Amino acid sequence: MTAGPALELRDVRVRRAGRDVLDVPALYLADGETLAVLGPNGAGKSTLLLAAALLLPAAGSIVVLGEAAHRGNQVRLRRRTATVFQDPALLDMTVLRNIEVALALHGVSRPDRRARAHEWLSRLGVAHLADQRGHAVSGGEAQRVSLARAFAVRPRLLFLDEPFSGVDHATRAALTGELRALLAAEGTAALIVTHDHSEALLLADRVVLLHAGRPLQVGASMDVLARPETEAAARFLGFSVLGLGACVLLGIRLDGVTERAAVPPDAARLDVAGAVGVVERVEAGSGAGRLLVQLASGDSLAIALSVEALRAPALVVGSQVHVAVDPSRVVPIGR
Amino acid sequence: MDLIFDALREAVRLLRTGDGDVYSITARTALITGASTLVASLIGLPIGLGIALGRFPGQRVLLAIANAGTGLPPVVAGLFVAILLWRSGPLGSLGLIYTPWAMIIAQALIATPLVVSFAAAGVMSLPPSLHLQVRAMGAGTGQYVWLMAREARLALLVAVMAGFGGVVSEVGAATMVGGNLSGSTRVLTTAAVLEVNRGNFGTALALGLILLVLVVLVSAVLTSVQARVRRR
Repeated sequence: MTAGPALELRDVRVRRAGRDVLDVPALYLADGETLAVLGPNGAGKSTLLLAAALLLPAAGSIVVLGEAAHRGNQVRLRRRTATVFQDPALLDMTVLRNIEVALALHGVSRPDRRARAHEWLSRLGVAHLADQRGHAVSGGEAQRVSLARAFAVRPRLLFLDEPFSGVDHATRAALTGELRALLAAEGTAALIVTHDHSEALLLADRVVLLHAGRPLQVGASMDVLARPETEAAARFLGFSVLGLGACVLLGIRLDGVTERAAVPPDAARLDVAGAVGVVERVEAGSGAGRLLVQLASGDSLAIALSVEALRAPALVVGSQVHVAVDPSRVVPIGR
Repeated sequence: MDLIFDALREAVRLLRTGDGDVYSITARTALITGASTLVASLIGLPIGLGIALGRFPGQRVLLAIANAGTGLPPVVAGLFVAILLWRSGPLGSLGLIYTPWAMIIAQALIATPLVVSFAAAGVMSLPPSLHLQVRAMGAGTGQYVWLMAREARLALLVAVMAGFGGVVSEVGAATMVGGNLSGSTRVLTTAAVLEVNRGNFGTALALGLILLVLVVLVSAVLTSVQARVRRR
């Protein structure tokens, strides 16, 4: 176990084409903790992970497992961590050899390699693939092998870059659950990059929201996902951001200091006694959808609805609806 | 038509009897081509890997030079080596001109850019995620290069085959620096040219056929190695 945080970043910057694509004043990951990095495409999530995993040159201070990283110790520090990417990137050799190679690089003795590799293939439910070539297994299986390869080296710190975004929904759900159990069982600290809120909520103790390379908000997963502090954070999390006029129309009382409020889509509803609005857009997702309603103030309010409800003939673009929100779920936000 | 049949008959006779130094010329060709391919591989594969995997100033320029070198006319390479090794040239004191060594040097010069270019392209075509993954697994520089070379092993073998193909049928440089001396620097290609000039089409055809068989044999061996490597 490490005495201090598993990972500590201070004033970490990555510049590309003359501009900062990552600028993190301070960020830490406690030992055994899971921190999810959430943000829209291009926010710098993967850049943050690569810099923290010492795979990308970055200015500033990066302390990995209590040791400040510098040019001379990066390979050694990488051997105390493991990384799982979206692409499992298995080598062109048998699945078993893939894990043995990782163990060899981490200095595990030859007799122990095979036993450890078999153990972890079994734990990830892919022992039957041991003699198959890495390139011959399916995407979901390959990602299981990739996880087995990462855990087999017994890292104190694990980096995961959107590990399940390349697999189907069912496999993703199963793998997320298994990863959570493994992280808890092994006590491994993990930094996971994802754009999936529910994945972050399930896996992470804390969440950092990243926007344009900068942390917008850091905190306990539930707090960050339920109570965005800025407009950018609220918009990324799918909240509607309403100005004073809309708040008045919807009967939302602000504290007199803040002039904006964020409303999660599941806190808004169609209500005949509510404010008048016009359907702006109908968005269908997998199993659920959103109705975007433009209020008289010009603000848009998103309402979470089932796909069945969205099929109602009255809910077409341009039709008039009445909407209301649950005031207890409204979050006052700064700019 | 008679000319063709006579030539074919003569070719078969020569192949059967081994007259006219056919087999010693063949052995010399295999030796010189093999040696130049080996030299080109020993030089070209590390350079190709270095260009593909390293980060250093002038990397792109080096790759551009190698790519341009794939089109290096053998006569130009031969001329360059001939000037270097000529008795009054900078390396004339070595006494290598008109020896098999001069032919190996010239052919290695022709094959090396091919090996570099094909090797670099093969390693560069590996997915970027693989580079990251191998480094993330804690590979040191040597381990990283070894694992990436292993991943690109088929491409590296193709690079060696390209180098061999570039020199086995080459005639310009071989004549220029070897001199086509009987029993010393005469190889299949230079001998075939000589026999055509003399009007001995049968002998030339026999030499051509042997060259063809040599190329097919070497390709077959390399292809079988390729298949075995693929299974490993």
